[in-house]
Amino acid sequence: MTEFQTFSKMKELMTAYYFEAKTTKEKPIAWITSGAPVEFLFAMDIIPIYPENYAAMCAANHQSVELMEAAEAQGFSQDICAYARTDFGADILQGGPVGGLPAPHFLLCSTNICKTVIKWYEVIARKYDVPLFIVDTPFVHDGLTDDLLEYTVAQFKDLEQFLARITGRPFDHEHLAEVLRLSQEAAAYWKKILFLARTVPTPINSLDSFIHLGPIVTLRGTQGCVDYYRALYEEVAGRAENKIPSVPGERYRVLWDNLPVWFKMRRLENFFQERKCALVVTTYANSWGGLSNYEDEEMADPYRLLAASYLNVYINYGFEERIRYLSGLMDEFSLTGFIMHSNRSCKPYSVGMYRLQEELSQRTGRPGVVIEADQNDPRVYSDAQIEARLDAFIESMEAAS
Amino acid sequence: MYDPFHEVLSDVRGTILKQARALDRPVIGVMPAYFPLELVYASGGFPVQLWGNRLAPSRADAYLQSYCCSVARSAMELELAGGADMVRGYAFTSLCDTLVNLREVYRRVVDKPTVELSIPVTQTAEARRNYLSSGLDKVNRGLQEMAGGRMTPESLAEASELYGRVRALQRRLYALRLERAGLVSNLDFYAVLKAGSFLGPEYYAKLLSDLLEKLDSMDPPEDSGPRLLLSGLVYDPLELHRILDRLGVRVVQDDFANGWRTVSKETLAVENLVEGVARYLFGPAPCCCLYNPENDRHDYLVDHARKAGADGVLFWYLKFCEPDAFDRPQLMKRLTDEGIPSSVVELELSMQNFDAIGTRLSAFCEMLEG
Repeated sequence: MTEFQTFSKMKELMTAYYFEAKTTKEKPIAWITSGAPVEFLFAMDIIPIYPENYAAMCAANHQSVELMEAAEAQGFSQDICAYARTDFGADILQGGPVGGLPAPHFLLCSTNICKTVIKWYEVIARKYDVPLFIVDTPFVHDGLTDDLLEYTVAQFKDLEQFLARITGRPFDHEHLAEVLRLSQEAAAYWKKILFLARTVPTPINSLDSFIHLGPIVTLRGTQGCVDYYRALYEEVAGRAENKIPSVPGERYRVLWDNLPVWFKMRRLENFFQERKCALVVTTYANSWGGLSNYEDEEMADPYRLLAASYLNVYINYGFEERIRYLSGLMDEFSLTGFIMHSNRSCKPYSVGMYRLQEELSQRTGRPGVVIEADQNDPRVYSDAQIEARLDAFIESMEAAS
Repeated sequence: MYDPFHEVLSDVRGTILKQARALDRPVIGVMPAYFPLELVYASGGFPVQLWGNRLAPSRADAYLQSYCCSVARSAMELELAGGADMVRGYAFTSLCDTLVNLREVYRRVVDKPTVELSIPVTQTAEARRNYLSSGLDKVNRGLQEMAGGRMTPESLAEASELYGRVRALQRRLYALRLERAGLVSNLDFYAVLKAGSFLGPEYYAKLLSDLLEKLDSMDPPEDSGPRLLLSGLVYDPLELHRILDRLGVRVVQDDFANGWRTVSKETLAVENLVEGVARYLFGPAPCCCLYNPENDRHDYLVDHARKAGADGVLFWYLKFCEPDAFDRPQLMKRLTDEGIPSSVVELELSMQNFDAIGTRLSAFCEMLEG
């Protein structure tokens, strides 16, 4: 990965976060999905724990197979999401980089990333016998409408009551306002960092942004998160100004759609470096910049702002909107092609992807490829097949240039 | 006695065309699951339920990966192969991630209108009601465009009575199977149920009434093989029921989305349609696809198996159905804790070879007969 000075700060930040979560005696622990409105938890001094983030860490550390096998031995089918299997295994073995996650007091789950999380969290709720609160954010087939916003806002208000009951004290609206401000600030920095990749050559690539996702996923709404991304922004901006490329000799500029293949980060980095191909932008990392998309006047009602932001998630939108968005990125980031990861573990991202590839290529006139893989399960990944497909794709970009 | 039902299944296409002509209504394809057929009928359509078929995917492979379930893949294969040319439009629910995206694929690939009933799973009661209300307005408009009729209090009442009657008759058949285990073979039972997917409600109700009348006076064979409860998304492939019959298994109850989970639904209350549809969607039998902690699936299944006097539970797992797969390990453990044996078979709708499953079933039966 590109060597950023700031990286060590992220390690410190994440270590401190997991240390506090593992040792706290005072603060409640909530397990939460990556797309859930964490701001409400921080407002009540509850520590959010992200099984998805932990599963990714396990795979990046090449520990996911052992953990998934433990879950499969208990009957969980290989057909289910590999993140879920990794986490079930981490819980069974108390394994992974930090030796398992601290037990939850309750669970918070939002359906904006998939409906699968409901099933996943139902399993955890039964195992730990803890309450589960679901913020249902329905799929947006035809644009954001008032009924969707009102539905989501009503659930936020209910969530406040739920948190008040859990903690035994009134919901802290003042603190929520502060957390929301910090969350927006962090999202704004994150988005600015990702947008620096419009520079040619790009000073940061998508594999870097995957690695630097940790704090925006887990700690948005805290000062530490803002400070970290401010520092990272300054560093990346400096590289942009001095035209320091993240991929030396950058020749191809590519979009990556879907989650990364966490267990192949290093190999894919080398593969793309050798071919002077920079992964410039990714729909996945962009998903956490959403809160900064709204102007000040839209802030008048913070609940509607949050509702819009949590409904407006790339994979929660219909294909027309997805294609419009992807086409926009292709132009805005001066891309030469795109890679779509057909991810066995993520159906909302992947089902229909071949059609999207076809349409996006037609609309932009640029080549694209779909690779069949998985975010966390190396057993369904073939280096030879995938690299052959990627090589053919790179040749097609060369031919089109 | 069962010929009329088997005849439907041996010529589904011809049946649908004939029924549509007789009813003089456009055919609307209803995708899994729980889209109230009453709404389609009340809008002037002839709802036909598409729970997948035995077509092996080839054209659909261009759009749906191998990790999509065979219900989605075979339904799309049917459409792309021209087998659903009589279907004017499709009605979806937001049942699972695959079906939600499948609708998006249809909207771009299939030149037919679609509607979706977006099912709210929040526990925030008022929000659920309001969202369902606006969702039903959209469904109403979509169906009107698709089926050409207008949903009125009268048309809703008529549809509700018809489909309510169908489900009540199906429940009588379920009750009969339970009381006189073995009277109806497993294959015949599910053929009777499945035929209803492709028939007009009045015609189907008549066939069911005639059958029930004949069955009423008949006695079951002497006690034989084990009594099973089957649990899964769909009761297909029917071939597997033939194997169960050969093994002497008496299926006494089920927990299929297109079986008891739907059949158990009472007449749709249409005076307050929002309340009626909410009750229809979430009860009385829980479904792995619809989150509803007020109707716990574990307690329900244990109770369901006990009431049926089942010797064991067989999980009928359709490959790549994540909602079903997530629930199963804990459910099986709970059943074991309650002293109810269980086993699982993995299925694809287009599967041809049942040898391995047959062996597995045979072993499970031997274990039950101990």
